[in-house]
Amino acid sequence: MELLSKPPGWKVADVERWATARLLLACAFVVAAGLASHRPAQADAQADEYRVKAAFLYKFGGYVEWPDRSFARADSPVVIGVIGADTLADELAQIVSGRSVNGRPVLVRRLRPGDPIAGLHVLFIGRVDRGRLAEILAAAKGQPLLTVTESEEGLELGSMINFVVVENKVRFDVAPPSSEADNLKISARLLGVARKVVARSS
Amino acid sequence: MKLLSPRSLRQKLLGMMLLTTLVALVVALAAMIGYDLSVYHRVLVSDMTTQAELLGRTIAPALSFDDVRVARENLGLLRFRPLVSSAAIYNARGALFATYARADDRRAFPKLPEPDGARVDDRDLILFKRIVNDGEILGTVFLRADYELFSRVFDYLGIAAVVLIAAMLVALLMSSWMQNIVTRPILAIAQIAREVVGQRDYSRRAAKMSADEVGTLVDSFNDMLAEIDRRTRELEASNAKLAQEAVERSRAEREVLRLNVELEDRVRERTAQLETAMRELETFSYSVSHDLRAPLRAIDGFGQALVEDFPEHLPADAKRYLSRIRTSTQHMAQLIEDLLNLARVSRGTLERRTVDLSQSARQVVGELQQHEPGRAVEVAVWEGMSAEADPHLLRVVLENLIGNAWKFTSKAAKPHIEIGALKDHGRATFFVRDNGAGFDMAYADKLFGAFQRLHSASEYAGTGIGLATVQRIVQRHGGRIWAEGELGKGAVFFFTLTLAAEKAAGSVEQAHG
Repeated sequence: MELLSKPPGWKVADVERWATARLLLACAFVVAAGLASHRPAQADAQADEYRVKAAFLYKFGGYVEWPDRSFARADSPVVIGVIGADTLADELAQIVSGRSVNGRPVLVRRLRPGDPIAGLHVLFIGRVDRGRLAEILAAAKGQPLLTVTESEEGLELGSMINFVVVENKVRFDVAPPSSEADNLKISARLLGVARKVVARSS
Repeated sequence: MKLLSPRSLRQKLLGMMLLTTLVALVVALAAMIGYDLSVYHRVLVSDMTTQAELLGRTIAPALSFDDVRVARENLGLLRFRPLVSSAAIYNARGALFATYARADDRRAFPKLPEPDGARVDDRDLILFKRIVNDGEILGTVFLRADYELFSRVFDYLGIAAVVLIAAMLVALLMSSWMQNIVTRPILAIAQIAREVVGQRDYSRRAAKMSADEVGTLVDSFNDMLAEIDRRTRELEASNAKLAQEAVERSRAEREVLRLNVELEDRVRERTAQLETAMRELETFSYSVSHDLRAPLRAIDGFGQALVEDFPEHLPADAKRYLSRIRTSTQHMAQLIEDLLNLARVSRGTLERRTVDLSQSARQVVGELQQHEPGRAVEVAVWEGMSAEADPHLLRVVLENLIGNAWKFTSKAAKPHIEIGALKDHGRATFFVRDNGAGFDMAYADKLFGAFQRLHSASEYAGTGIGLATVQRIVQRHGGRIWAEGELGKGAVFFFTLTLAAEKAAGSVEQAHG
């Protein structure tokens, strides 16, 4: 029933398909990615891509270990900040509702460029121009903050995970932060599924 | 079991030990195999479950981030677990995500995942395991592993067979060696017992080899043998004594037998001697009697001639003397005649025939009446009397007895003679009764002796040989003769002509009646 309150513009068939999948397998995000990769229409493909990325973004949390100091309390939420990707933010908000990461609730926060990034645990930066990107990443540097981008030069500019689309499928590259730099650890299991892992030179 | 029942103690013990070993081994092996198989099953299931869990954990990121390639790589690691023949990952929607198959396994994968759990399908262990992350089902792991329970069972059965055979062989050797300890003393006793029975040598003793129950048995056995030995000796001594006695007794019997034979010989000898003497005596008396008759006849004849030829020359006295001479001569001739009769009766053969005794008696009575027609004697002869006897000799008997009765009733007022018979026990006892002079019973035993007379010759004529002759004839027939009488009242003469008519005496009263 919750599904019927989805934003308009969706085809009924899609909704129904979604509903069927959701009904069948209680909480399947992968489904979105799977479906998305087969979607023929360009607009749909765009939507699917964001759906997959949103799901991935949420799942990354499970493979990352933040230092204790980044949480105020034991049950403080994991806060995911999204810059320049409203569609993704909407999708993500939907996904995380009622879910948790490492036993913590998940909170999605939409940020405008220039908003402070303090208190965030994951930061997704959408397709913004290079200058802004570098700026934001530089600000995030040294923080226990998982930075995720979807730009070709994302990793170069200091992002930790960068989405790429290969053969119609969403993949990602990882550049793990230098150890002890900001006390954030990315699980090797995540590295196992990355398209490639880039060693941080600095 | 009867057919298989072993005969010796050794075989029984061996059988028991082997059976015990067999049972113990079978039970132990069965328990071990059963335990091992159940452990195998549990270990395999838990191992595969763990494997699936690990696989799920490993593959969870690939599944999360929809990376089939990585998933395949992860699954590919299963090649280091040759036990796993094939594996597959299903995504959250239940569609196949990635698969792995050992080179030799070309079987299809299940279209849809099944609920969590492990099951045995023929020779495979099939396992499904959900991949759960943060409370979310990411997908399902499917594992198919070789389930080698059955081949293990066969392996175990083979091993069990080998172990059984080896163990039984060892048990056989061991028991052969060990049972010696137990059976040797018992077999030794058995051997001694057989020898004792076979050779009857009770002085044998079994050797005591141990102080256990068998040792006690040996002691008891030896004590028993000693007791048997003692008793056997006693018995043998007693037997010897008995045998000695038997020998003596049989010797005594032989002696008695010999004496008997001797005695019989002697009796026969004496009898023969007596018979010879008798015969000589009879021959002698016969010839004497015979030779005596001739001169007597001459005396009588010349006496008669003298009387007849010279009647007027002889005085009356001479004639009287001559008459006396002739009477005496005739008496002597009668005497000689009777003696000859007696002798004849004693010799000669006895010819038994059925004789009509009634008729014979009537004939005798008729002759007597003819001889003395002047006498009036009432004579009663019973009808139908018959006897098995020599007819001539029976005639002599009747002549004598009836003649006597005739003679001794000559002075009776109403002379009466009765000739009859008494039936006694099927045997006839004949009697001749008269009411004549009778006799004194005190002399009854002298009646039948030769020349024995109870009355003077002047009173009643006679030679005194008649009854002796009668007795002789009756005795020759195997019968008996006896008499009863009273002086002046009469006499009864009883006689039988067959053997052993002893009871006749008791029937006298009936005869008188």
